[in-house]
Amino acid sequence: MKKIKNYVYKIQKNDFTNAGKVSSEIKKTLKKIGFNKLIIRETAVISYESEMNIIIHSDGGLIELGIYEDKITLFIKDFGPGIEDIELAMTEGYSTATSKVRELGFGAGMGLPNIKKCSDKFIIKSNNKGTIIESTIFLE
Amino acid sequence: MKRTFYLEKEKCMGCTNCMRKCPTEAIRIVEGKAKIDDDKCINCGECIRVCPYNAYTAISDNIEDLKKFKYNIAIPSTTVYGQFSLGTKICKIHNALIGLGFDYIYDESWAAELVTKAIKDKVLEDKSVKPKISSNCPAIVRLIRIKYKSLLENIIELEAPMEIAAKLSLEKVLRSNKDLKKKDIGIFYISPCPAKILSVKEPMDKKDSYINRVISLKEIYGDMIRELKMHNELCFSNPSLTGLKWAISGGQTEACDFENSISVSGLENVIDILEEIELGKLDHIDFIEALSCNGGCVGGTYNFENPFVANSNIKHILKKTDKGLILNKDIDKYNQFKSKGFFDSKIIDKHEKVGKPNIKEAVKMIDEIEKFYEKLPKLDCGSCGAPTCRALAEDIANGLDTIDSCVILKLEENK
Repeated sequence: MKKIKNYVYKIQKNDFTNAGKVSSEIKKTLKKIGFNKLIIRETAVISYESEMNIIIHSDGGLIELGIYEDKITLFIKDFGPGIEDIELAMTEGYSTATSKVRELGFGAGMGLPNIKKCSDKFIIKSNNKGTIIESTIFLE
Repeated sequence: MKRTFYLEKEKCMGCTNCMRKCPTEAIRIVEGKAKIDDDKCINCGECIRVCPYNAYTAISDNIEDLKKFKYNIAIPSTTVYGQFSLGTKICKIHNALIGLGFDYIYDESWAAELVTKAIKDKVLEDKSVKPKISSNCPAIVRLIRIKYKSLLENIIELEAPMEIAAKLSLEKVLRSNKDLKKKDIGIFYISPCPAKILSVKEPMDKKDSYINRVISLKEIYGDMIRELKMHNELCFSNPSLTGLKWAISGGQTEACDFENSISVSGLENVIDILEEIELGKLDHIDFIEALSCNGGCVGGTYNFENPFVANSNIKHILKKTDKGLILNKDIDKYNQFKSKGFFDSKIIDKHEKVGKPNIKEAVKMIDEIEKFYEKLPKLDCGSCGAPTCRALAEDIANGLDTIDSCVILKLEENK
């Protein structure tokens, strides 16, 4: 089905000042459209975890929110350094976050597992140039 | 009724103070006067508090209403005890109420202690939705209904202490006065805020409140102060110390004592926390005490005393009250009450089905708002009568205003 709308949000590396703003913005948009709470919640969790992943672990990236008649897509892309062992990264509780990041209350190793849990379709690809996640939530 | 205060138009200067402070952007300045959208108003009272011209007036019952009943019960809000100078004895305050014509006093704090137990049970019995949010502050419940619908299921469905106090006191009075009928008895709540007045006048969870009349604390305060001096120190009863804590921010969480809880007060702060819950960041928290007024209920608009002073006064009572004097047999009946569903309430629209949205139309609308927003100066000066440029853009897109309302754009045009 044709995409109704596409929103692109850029996210900077280490930008803790703005952390959470993109996911709040996405959540606000979905609330305005009038999606039900489950859809809003799943999308909010996926975008928040992705946003924090980009800020903490990557060299910067973006989130693209796609709105369709029958689904919502989140295309999450960063510019490296990539995930060495995806399978390990998908394990609950596994984290490569530094102690400084953990002190801020992040890095519990739930990011990727949470994103997957909230997605109806989840694809992750990574190499040293960066990581791409395609997450889909079906509306029906 | 959707609002328990009104604007005295002749006093309103159209100054924008209330409009800027309104947490739900319910106020616009139209033709130089504030105009409240009742569908958005949560009766938090911020506009009343901030108005420099005292243009907002409370809708409150008054002491004259005591004449309408044969027997009158007073339920003083827990904040009442913070309103008199340090060391004012509880019995003096109760005697003042008796002096004003009340026949019986049931302290809200006793009901709050019972509700504390009920909250503990609710949180421990059902972990399917986390975190649970206290339903005690009606302004917050209304805020969630209007702006955070997805969190309706997090609200703990329990009667507020004032309703429990009304039920218990009615039973007690009927039991000990066999010649009285229910219609002879007036149950009066003394309220610290417009939100609780509305909860009596227009409950969210039932047709009628158990309370018959509600008087704002400010309305009765003068009478109480005058009566305070005249009476002996015969004691009526003492408040529950656990329940009395509910008057101040942190009191509910302290009384409930969960492993992980958050106590938040002040609307801006509450909104931040609600946003975090929506993002799934607080799933590890058991309980959230969210209160609309800074400092908790002692910060309510209709209190007399400065909230920080009231807080200190209440803490003084908590410290100095002789625990030996405290007695209320209702507390022992908690399990009996609970098994009868005595504390349970229902949030009416909790399971309201959201229909499938018309995504195309909604997106078109968002684009439309964005289009107007881009044209506006983004100074949020409020001169147009809307609180922010974005709010004006929304009004324009909804056909409620025009871009000509923007004063800044007009000035630039005329340069």
